[in-house]
Amino acid sequence: MKYRIIDSDAGPTLVLSDQLLFDHRDIFDTAIDKLLARKQPFVAVDMAGLTYMDSAGLGMLLTLRDRAEHAGIGVSLLRPSKDVAELLDLACFGSLFTIERG
Amino acid sequence: MSAAPARALVVDDERMNREVIVANLRAAGFETVTAEDGVQAWGILNAHPNSFDVILLDRRMPRMNGMELLTRLKADERLNHIPVIMQTAYAETEDISEGITAGAYYYLAKPLDRRLLLSVTEAAIADHQRRLRLQDDLDKRTTAMRLLDRGRFRFRTLDEGHTLAVALARACPQARHLVAGLSELFTNAVEHGNLGIDFDEKAELVAAKRWRQEIEARLDTPRGRGRWVDVQVDRQADGVRFVIRDQGDGFNWRAFDRISPERAFAPHGRGIALARRLAFTSVEFNDAGNEVTCWVASGGNDAQAETPPSVTCTEAAVISEAPPETVSEEIQLARTMQMELLPSAQSLAEIERRLGVRLSAHFETSSTLGGDLWGLQPIDDGRLGLWLADFSGHGLTAALNTFRLHSLVANCTPVADMPAAFLAEVNRRLVGLLPLGQYATMLYGVVDLVAGSFRYAAAAMPPPLLRRPDGQVVRGDGAGLPLGVSAHAVYAERNIPLCPGALLFMASDGLADSMALDGNRLGAAGVESLLEASARNLGKDTDAVLAPFLAQIQRPLRDDLTALCCACP
Repeated sequence: MKYRIIDSDAGPTLVLSDQLLFDHRDIFDTAIDKLLARKQPFVAVDMAGLTYMDSAGLGMLLTLRDRAEHAGIGVSLLRPSKDVAELLDLACFGSLFTIERG
Repeated sequence: MSAAPARALVVDDERMNREVIVANLRAAGFETVTAEDGVQAWGILNAHPNSFDVILLDRRMPRMNGMELLTRLKADERLNHIPVIMQTAYAETEDISEGITAGAYYYLAKPLDRRLLLSVTEAAIADHQRRLRLQDDLDKRTTAMRLLDRGRFRFRTLDEGHTLAVALARACPQARHLVAGLSELFTNAVEHGNLGIDFDEKAELVAAKRWRQEIEARLDTPRGRGRWVDVQVDRQADGVRFVIRDQGDGFNWRAFDRISPERAFAPHGRGIALARRLAFTSVEFNDAGNEVTCWVASGGNDAQAETPPSVTCTEAAVISEAPPETVSEEIQLARTMQMELLPSAQSLAEIERRLGVRLSAHFETSSTLGGDLWGLQPIDDGRLGLWLADFSGHGLTAALNTFRLHSLVANCTPVADMPAAFLAEVNRRLVGLLPLGQYATMLYGVVDLVAGSFRYAAAAMPPPLLRRPDGQVVRGDGAGLPLGVSAHAVYAERNIPLCPGALLFMASDGLADSMALDGNRLGAAGVESLLEASARNLGKDTDAVLAPFLAQIQRPLRDDLTALCCACP
């Protein structure tokens, strides 16, 4: 997994690329530390560059949601690819996150 | 259990290969040190000759290849006791013969099979430690046996044989090397001779981890109690002769008196050949194979005495799929307990008897402990609850959660016939128990033979599939909120009509996510194709469905893999 954070008036966006797998928990945790440290009311995760995500990726997104919720921060998931979107739908993540499809 | 973790030296010029081996060995509790070629490995071994329990050695490398390093190791008294497992992408008969002749403990063909890698490494380390213990015993024994001129001994059990091997080795000049050779022949006399365990039977016992248990059981039968191994020792001017006779019917020793390349990949069956090469000048069986005469020539100028004996494989028989000795006993115990959570063969047989449905499962973990679990819930003579769950992540944390789930499920039996309510209840109980970021996916369904339906509810699981008798595959729907995320989650109840002869199939996402050797994931479509293809050979169990894929799956697995088949009558 690779990531960068883009700041804008709408809030910071975590841009993910490559794959999001079980082995990327630590780097993902570091990324959300930085993301939430912005202390903006909304954050987004741009998933367009994510070619693959396994079920562990769902757990990481749940961690982000939980930590953001505790900090009073809203989370949106942006532009998931077809495969990633299928996984999000399988887990009914539309009921947990705002998902903006590209 | 040893005080310190066993340490392996991994020698391979390909970084990726090194990393794969290291990851597997570390996950199994071994310490690892790596070297990029023979030169670097030689430097490390020279500087730390007593630091390694096993060496995993690639054959083809620049600067100094595996064969050159192996030859050097075997010529060095400080290092020649360390077992060397060769790996080669070229499983050529000549290569294997050359390696084994040079003293390789085992040959692993690339790509490496994780389970085989671990079991062979474990066996090599066990052999090495056993050899060190034998030598330690040897050092402690009196040297009075050197005064032995002629003697006759008899023993019945493996332990007695071990004790005698140590004592008799003392009677000879090359005691250190002889002890393992005698021990090997004594073991052979007990297990193959007196107790009648043949090669294939031993392979099965080893695979089922019942080898020692079976030996003990057979020793305790009237036949086992009445049979002895007789050993005669006779010192002569130019050496010592051992005659070892068992009371069995003999065996085809000719097939085992050399290490054939065909058996280089077999888990056992090389003891005799190794014994021959250990320190004996000659090893001769009688025709029947129940008496063996070994000759140990004396004299320091004897070529045999100067040849450094190869490291032995005295206990290749302990190769097993169990976690290695270096995995903590607690983890081993946990694994045993986890396997006991799964439905037993007896319970599956009982279900088949009562309902006529045949259940089968494949359960494979990506590390010692897994995060998958499946179970069944008999409801009445026409209905059966089946479930399959997968906790996020894998390893210890996920495994502990499977124990939680097993208890929770047992408390949900009042709603066992209502899949959606069942999942909601399990979810309600899991919420609050699971730490941040952890969740479970689960499928629970009721096979209803009277109504001819599979009613199920799902929490983010791969969809259940049904293969009709005509081979057509029907896909269900696995969508649902994962368990443990929200206390208020509700689940939809869905239905797949069953028909006689249909095959119901469920699997954790570890199956679709698994990579084939060509680097492609199987994917959801691939799972359906496997099920479709299994109709052609009338396959009605998980083995038949998964076999074509498991034969070419990349190991180590990235995730735990569980699949479940239910064949309708």
